[in-house]
Amino acid sequence: MRIVNPAFGVSATSGEKVALKPVNWTTDAIALVSNSKPNARELLAGIREKLGATRKIDNIDFLSKNSASQPAPKDVIEEVAAKYRGALLAIAD
Amino acid sequence: MIATETFKPLVLAQAKARKVEPKLIVVKHPIGGLNADELRERIEAATKGLTEATAK
Amino acid sequence: MMKDITEQEVIDLPDMDVEAFNEFAVEQGWSDGMPLYVPTEAKVAKFVDTVRGDNRPIPPVPPRQVVPTLQSMAANAVMAGCKPEYFPVVTAALRAVLDPEYNLHGSLATTHSCAPVIMVSGPIRHQLGINCGSNCFGQGWRPNATIGRALGLMLLNIAGAKPGEMDRSTQGNPAKYTFCFGENEEENPWPPYHVQRGFAPTDNVVTVMSGEGPHNLNDHGSTTGEGLLTTFAGGMSNPGANTIYGKGPMLVIIGPEHAATLKRDGFTIETIREELFRRSRVHVSRISKANQETYTSTGHKPDGDWFSIGRSPQDIHITVAGGPGKHSAFIPSFGGTTVASVRIAG
Repeated sequence: MRIVNPAFGVSATSGEKVALKPVNWTTDAIALVSNSKPNARELLAGIREKLGATRKIDNIDFLSKNSASQPAPKDVIEEVAAKYRGALLAIAD
Repeated sequence: MIATETFKPLVLAQAKARKVEPKLIVVKHPIGGLNADELRERIEAATKGLTEATAK
Repeated sequence: MMKDITEQEVIDLPDMDVEAFNEFAVEQGWSDGMPLYVPTEAKVAKFVDTVRGDNRPIPPVPPRQVVPTLQSMAANAVMAGCKPEYFPVVTAALRAVLDPEYNLHGSLATTHSCAPVIMVSGPIRHQLGINCGSNCFGQGWRPNATIGRALGLMLLNIAGAKPGEMDRSTQGNPAKYTFCFGENEEENPWPPYHVQRGFAPTDNVVTVMSGEGPHNLNDHGSTTGEGLLTTFAGGMSNPGANTIYGKGPMLVIIGPEHAATLKRDGFTIETIREELFRRSRVHVSRISKANQETYTSTGHKPDGDWFSIGRSPQDIHITVAGGPGKHSAFIPSFGGTTVASVRIAG
């Protein structure tokens, strides 16, 4: 018998991989992006403090989503792309 | 990207849908609801994971 | 090399009975746990015929980011047990949850219990036999049961919201099987919901919200609209609902007897909304210190000693459904979502 696949769909995502610029995690500006869930900011702050033992941290900044339930706003994503070489996301808990 | 072990399948499923390969640092679940002492262990683990991932 | 069956729109299977098909469907991850009809090409074609002429493109469906075909959408409606004539409602419901403000990705991946609440307005309610009266949120009516189920299956199979993987709900919600009802326009003393939103009375409209299950608002004793609003506001002032974050809409579905009392006492949709917004708030003594800090730090500050449960009266969406009795319902949303209404094609 012939059935129609209920999961069928055409992927809307490009198959091309994004080329990443190399990041020097010991010197480059880093964005710490919180998903705005409780303790995400505290987790990132703890990591930032610990990184202070091996690198300068005045170019490691905090950013966050407006709400845990919403996607990151376009301006936050653009800010991360424009100002930082690396980003550490507290994303899934 | 920091995720808890419980939510790792979600991150991988979403990454697969977007055809990206995230650099993932996995820590124990949960993060929310922990007090400062409990959170310290997660900070240690995440920092260690970050240091190892970025040293490669 | 044989193509992966997940990439095939039509799959050739050995002849099998419905029990064997259900085992196969479970193995594929296509099942919500209840028995499924077999989505044969012939059955699917009958469903697709009901939406011929509706050529508006379907955007990619998150989180999986795939664009379904009418055939794959119809396959889910067949499996759910829909009749072909329900399919235009099902497709409108999918279009509605794809409104970017609905935040389908967030509402499916969240730990919250939310499920799509589907409300149908307009003459199609009677044409299809959608229950708008007694037990309208409950069992017993095929369109209510299967239209909601069809959307749930599409979110599982097309959106990829597999429980425990992409769907991370802590406890889930029975409404994830189905939550579909009709407005009781005939016993609504005010304009029906779709007319409130600018549609014509003769339009057929599907409205969706990512919501919790209905929270009952029981009031047998009050004899005035004023008394009813006191009860409603008390029930809505819930420190455990997601609306306590002060972000996102909520539905208040008033039972016809409560509606008649409110109308008799001069209340309109607008004045009910304003009164409920003014009175539905939670005293800081009912919210832990840590939660107060979280709400405040995310922009939801208390007004004196009270936290509101919405941003404005417009977050409260009101209509009438149900049958005889002294009950109404409050349905809080996921929070980061909207109430989206889409006209049913045809």
